[in-house]
Amino acid sequence: MKRAWKIYRLLAAQNLKRLMEYKADFLTGAVSFLIDQAIGIAFIFIIFTQIPQLSGFTFEQIVFIYGFSQIPKGLDHLLADNLWCVGYFIVKKGDFDKYLTRPINPLFHVIAETFQVDAAGELVVGIGLIIYSSAGAGLYITPLSITLTVLVIPFAALIYTSIKITTSAFAFWIKSSGFIIQMIYGMNEFSKYPTTIYSLPVRILVTYMIPFALTGYYPVIFILTGNSPITSIGTVVLVSILFFVLSLFIWHKGINAYESAGS
Amino acid sequence: MSKIRKQYVPFMKAGIQTLIIYRMNFLGFVIGGLVYCFVMYYLWKAVFDSAGGGTFLGFSMTDMVLYLFLSNTTTQLVYSSVTSEIGEEIKDGSIAMRLIKPVNTDWSYLFNELGGAFMKLVVFVLPMILGLEIYRFYMTGQIMFEPLNFLLYLVSAAAAYMISFRINLCFGFVAFYVKNLWGFNILKVSIMNFLSGSLIPLAFMPDTLRTILEYMPFASMSYTPVMIYMGKYSAAETAMRIGIQIIWAIAIYGLSKLIWVGAVKKLSVQGG
Repeated sequence: MKRAWKIYRLLAAQNLKRLMEYKADFLTGAVSFLIDQAIGIAFIFIIFTQIPQLSGFTFEQIVFIYGFSQIPKGLDHLLADNLWCVGYFIVKKGDFDKYLTRPINPLFHVIAETFQVDAAGELVVGIGLIIYSSAGAGLYITPLSITLTVLVIPFAALIYTSIKITTSAFAFWIKSSGFIIQMIYGMNEFSKYPTTIYSLPVRILVTYMIPFALTGYYPVIFILTGNSPITSIGTVVLVSILFFVLSLFIWHKGINAYESAGS
Repeated sequence: MSKIRKQYVPFMKAGIQTLIIYRMNFLGFVIGGLVYCFVMYYLWKAVFDSAGGGTFLGFSMTDMVLYLFLSNTTTQLVYSSVTSEIGEEIKDGSIAMRLIKPVNTDWSYLFNELGGAFMKLVVFVLPMILGLEIYRFYMTGQIMFEPLNFLLYLVSAAAAYMISFRINLCFGFVAFYVKNLWGFNILKVSIMNFLSGSLIPLAFMPDTLRTILEYMPFASMSYTPVMIYMGKYSAAETAMRIGIQIIWAIAIYGLSKLIWVGAVKKLSVQGG
């Protein structure tokens, strides 16, 4: 554990050095994600100039959910971005051999290798929106609700990472799975709004099968309404652990099936 | 004419072949776009339910569904990946090979892409329009399809394509300066989605903003063809809108030529 932490710090330091070298690069990335977010908010804002409430949620509440949903997304983006490369080209080019020949866990190495600061865009917007909307959202604030809502964030991020581990691992069998990651990951759009606006089949899909609803709406039900956290936050924790274990299993199966490719 | 055919048709064939080989990637983008449409569908449904009445700013829910899916489809149709294409070729130096060929460089890109656009039209856009018309028939009980509007849509979409291609070409030249092309591309797509009205119909925006955006080239890229298809414009207005598209197409053509001349002089190829 201590060794892993040391390696992680070394690799992250390398990343930061690269970052210092290409400052303009970082700025483009972060500003891009920032503006992408701002436009999403402009959309909600324009809707609410016409209606006072959306399915029983006020403007501030919708913004709160939207803002919260960006934090797990940003965390995963910050820490586990390299999985995209595994799916898109690392396996295809045969470069995955590198990870297999090093004396550390390949998955850990893949993840530790990249520290994607573009994610600052999502994190800054997410936190900003939460601060902006929390006063007007009529939150149910107790020490317990705040603690649980903060503690659930890593679990929600783990859902993102697990989905990416699973979909990128498909590349071990089919060489390139970038489009599968893209397709499944794209469903995180569903996490931005309250799950109650979707029809039942869609709700089941995004809660239990590709559980992005658990990264946006479910974690904040408790602090928004004061309803029992067991069914909301409890589900998030349980499902995220389940998905993580499952993704590790598929990843290891994949590595066993991996045959080097390329030249 | 036959010289042009001989020179550029191979580029077009290559474009079609690229799309066929990378069909899974294309499928991924199509499905990603559809997922996005469905999220928006539910969001708009909630908006319409919350608004109470049957219409919202002059749009019925059926209109909204048509708008949503057709503008996404049109955006995909006129989408041009020439920005990243140029960026990649500058990075790995292969643009030099393109420059020494005895053909017009930007035309070779254009025909490359036209092949892909033709495939998209056949395998994606036309089936989508058919599906939407079936939906409209199911919802309203009458056939709403207007052949004239459909033809005008195709004309307008062709103009939209020319604008989109040239704008993306201009953006591609930014690759001379920017290294993080991926982040830059996200920036470009999200700004264009907003300004072109494919995220929120421009009709829903505050009046001054709407008027400004309607005259900008971005509205010409998906909003104009979609509104024409939906029959939201009178005959005179349709003619004016297509006129605006053509003016923009010419203006941006000139701009891209200007930038191109400057950019080629600056070009220094690394490796290759």
